[in-house]
Amino acid sequence: MGIGKIVRRTLLIGSAAVAGGVAFGVWRYRADPENPLLADLPEGAASLTPFVVVDAEGVTFVAPRADVGQGAASIQAHLIAEEMDVDPHAVRIVAGPASKAYYNGEITGHGIPVAAWDDGRMGAVARLGSDVAGKLVGLNITGGSTTVPDLFERLREAGAVARETLKAAAAARLGVDVATLATEGGAVVAADGTRLPYADLAAAAAATDLVREVTLRDPSEWRVLGRAHRRTDVEAKSTGAVTYGVDVDLPGMLRATAVTNPVRGGGVASLDTAAAAAMRGIEAVIPIPDGFAVIADNDWRAMRAARAVAVEWGDVAPKPDTATLWAEHAAVIEGEETDSRFADEGDVAGAPGELVEAEYRVPFLHHAPLEPTNATVRYTPERTDLWCGTQVPTFACEAVARITGQDVEQVHLTNLPSGGSFGHRLEMEWIEQAAHAAMAVPGRPVRLTLGREQDMTHGFLRPMALARGRATHEGGRVRSFDLDVAALSVTESQMQRLGYPPVGPDLMTVQALWDAPYAIPDRRVTGYRVPASVPVSSWRSVGASFNGFFGESLLDEVILAAGADPVEERLRLLRDPASRTVLETVAGMAGWDGPGKGKGVAFTYSFGVPVAEVVEVEETDAGLALRGLWIAADLGTVLDPVNAEAQLSGGALFGLGHAMHAAVEFAEGRSLQSNFHDYASLRLWEVPPTLEVRALGLGGRISGAGEPGLPPAAPALANAIFAATGTRLREMPFDRTVRFA
Amino acid sequence: MRMTINGAEVELDVEPDMPLLWALRDELGLTGTKYGCGIAQCGACTVHLDGLAVRSCQVRASEAEGAEVTTIEGLPRDHPVVDAWIEEQVAQCGYCQSGQIMQAASLLAGNPAPSDAEIDAVMGGNLCRCATYPRIRAAIRRAAQETA
Amino acid sequence: MRWLALVLLAAPAAAQEFAPVHEVLSHPRCANCHVETDVPLWRTGVPHGLGVVAGESRMGIETLPCGTCHRAENGGFPHAAPGVEGWALAPPEMAWAARTPREICEQLKDPERNGGRTMAEVADHVSHDPLVVWGWAPGLGRDPAPGSPEEAARAILAWDAAGAPCP
Repeated sequence: MGIGKIVRRTLLIGSAAVAGGVAFGVWRYRADPENPLLADLPEGAASLTPFVVVDAEGVTFVAPRADVGQGAASIQAHLIAEEMDVDPHAVRIVAGPASKAYYNGEITGHGIPVAAWDDGRMGAVARLGSDVAGKLVGLNITGGSTTVPDLFERLREAGAVARETLKAAAAARLGVDVATLATEGGAVVAADGTRLPYADLAAAAAATDLVREVTLRDPSEWRVLGRAHRRTDVEAKSTGAVTYGVDVDLPGMLRATAVTNPVRGGGVASLDTAAAAAMRGIEAVIPIPDGFAVIADNDWRAMRAARAVAVEWGDVAPKPDTATLWAEHAAVIEGEETDSRFADEGDVAGAPGELVEAEYRVPFLHHAPLEPTNATVRYTPERTDLWCGTQVPTFACEAVARITGQDVEQVHLTNLPSGGSFGHRLEMEWIEQAAHAAMAVPGRPVRLTLGREQDMTHGFLRPMALARGRATHEGGRVRSFDLDVAALSVTESQMQRLGYPPVGPDLMTVQALWDAPYAIPDRRVTGYRVPASVPVSSWRSVGASFNGFFGESLLDEVILAAGADPVEERLRLLRDPASRTVLETVAGMAGWDGPGKGKGVAFTYSFGVPVAEVVEVEETDAGLALRGLWIAADLGTVLDPVNAEAQLSGGALFGLGHAMHAAVEFAEGRSLQSNFHDYASLRLWEVPPTLEVRALGLGGRISGAGEPGLPPAAPALANAIFAATGTRLREMPFDRTVRFA
Repeated sequence: MRMTINGAEVELDVEPDMPLLWALRDELGLTGTKYGCGIAQCGACTVHLDGLAVRSCQVRASEAEGAEVTTIEGLPRDHPVVDAWIEEQVAQCGYCQSGQIMQAASLLAGNPAPSDAEIDAVMGGNLCRCATYPRIRAAIRRAAQETA
Repeated sequence: MRWLALVLLAAPAAAQEFAPVHEVLSHPRCANCHVETDVPLWRTGVPHGLGVVAGESRMGIETLPCGTCHRAENGGFPHAAPGVEGWALAPPEMAWAARTPREICEQLKDPERNGGRTMAEVADHVSHDPLVVWGWAPGLGRDPAPGSPEEAARAILAWDAAGAPCP
């Protein structure tokens, strides 16, 4: 029986046996059992969240979070394996189906104005509220670096429940006391050395009451977690063996591509498909919202024929235009209407000291994962199947169901590994396009792949943003800090696409600024909302991706104006010990010995992680060369040092590459950038030869590593360029102002 | 048209101007070779054509007629470059890595002991959006040492 | 005084003779690969991305030749790699990107810097070398060099017949 069937059956029948096997989950809510909300858990939230399936074939882990390259599959497997005593390489790991049972209890916390470093009572209460909300709403989302904090306990509990239940089954079979049994290497081991592999115990375990009261191992006893591992997918990813969405191959499958109006929303005035339809291998050319899709027997034939379609695009107004948008940002930031002011300490208006004023700008950015966006859909009136890599399985199924006119239960998703995302696969436009194409050929699977140009010119972008700041210094110290940020609202844009009304102020606009852990006497952060136009989305580290640059650039400017040392003064200002530790650590790693030596430092606290980075640049004949990058971060607990290093350095380098080179701009409503020749990011030769990462586990709340490495990278580079050249970069991409080697 | 792919002779009935990339992926099911940009900007489609790395999105199927093509599927598991990629745990999303590996294998075949500058010069055409570059460098150095 | 008049008259005349040649040679389709450095240009003033280097061979370094991307024919999609047999940079001594018409003119006549060619051989090179002729059929989205290979060859021969004056 396929795992898909096993998983679906498991959900239907709860904790009972499945086809000669058993599924283990954790049903109890980990908050106070007195919590009245627990009595009202909706039926759809499922009383059992199945993460482990054991059958005669072996052990299967069901990983609720999508692997988009961040190592989620491996980490989820390690969490279960830690308690279950099974080699993560010896189990099958599959993505969970679209079910609210796989709710993300952390993700809604990103909308709550409580600083991550605030471990006081208010912070705890608010976070608990977000977990409950996540469970009730059943948001099954991968994102926000929440996989580890959200699943840290739940998956270990699932492993422990499975282990203890298998032991109970073994005890019954052997007629011994369960206390005499141990587990190791995917088997229950008796005192006399008898080994009972889990697979052999599957049927018996299915008939055994689940052992629900388990004690999780103390970290000092961990066997899997906290150690370096080989990622479970690294061999397949080194041999071309992974099936990404773009590689799906099914009997009778057709290929397709979609092209839509280069000015989003303009629609189609006229469409002549005759020439395209007559080309070799073309099955159909069909209208879809805002454009058309070509269905063919081969991707290239579809993309080639798409260029032979004679289309006259419709018109729409207003058309986004970068110059106009900057003017709009300026008008909003100068206006009276604020979106948020979560930080307002002291009196910035009356703050004494010498004033430093500056304006900063960042452009739109595309996620541009290397695997082009794609989805495969097979529609029949009874049932629709969907294959793709997505971070939002339930939303994706709902989107398809809206198009096919079916109930969401009739849509069945197979979630596949993604060739990168950076937030792109929180979006669903191409999934909807694939559903439209599939409706044209009922019964036949259609794999729709967007050409890079279509994807690049129809992005859901990191918003462009404008910041204006005023800071004062007095007696060699930073006295006040007042920063305004104007941007399109990511949350509003995303909610609007999901059909929800916008809710309240958007924390993302001021993320990592309002809650920066600096004790500055007079301190204010104000968010301004630019009226919705270009669709914007969560781009790796979301608002922190620009606010790190804004905040840490202004802070650097005022510290230097005060004649202070950028590391020393930040250390003086930082409120919490973990933040100070990472900054001290990175200063030591980089051999920081005062400003002005081609080194720049920056610190941000985002996604619960304090991160400090130092970048070193050198002027060469060929331009500015990056010589060093040092990163220190506190993840609370480090589950896998190999992956933590990869994520932190990957995040920082992603941040550097885009700060140096990338922008998406609009003229007359059209994206000026269309492919990687004009949307550049970091290349291998640009990576600093010295690159050191220290992922610390200082014992606080555990956090994910995918995003927080990014925000300090760009300001550290800008600060380093100032140190090396005296040129202060206040606008991205930097390569419009300076030349890089 | 006929060509040898990973040691096996194959017959293809495709348009002469169909890029080799799509012939491999859609006609032959060799999906380890990836489409990323279609314009030789990302390197994800890199294969060996008569022993040299090429971007298969730019090679017309007719150009490969009678040639020997090697794709990621044609590299043995114990190839020093594949082995180094696994040992160094290079991959994050993994999508570009087939192309990176094919380019690196071509580099080491022509230059068994490349300097850091030579590695940088040859690998610049292979884009990794996850920025696994530090480990790509490390893996190439490891593979070079293992073959030395 | 006559010599002065002759010089004054000859200078613009020479400029006219060379102008049609210069128009071709200085066009981005030609000048982008007639560069002094190791790096061709994508557009005037914009170096080729991807960190490519032409190396001593001018055909790329051994393990990353131009032919990795630039194949026998132009790529079929917008912004794809252009291609023709023998893709390479001109030798550095034949570089003329960003040079004045006079400089280009002088070097074109200099056997040390024109590959030891007579002007007839230069004209033949322009109208028959596949890589040069590519400049008039550069593929989707690129402006071709002005005129045709034959017109360019005739302009070179006419300029040569006029004594190959330089502006």
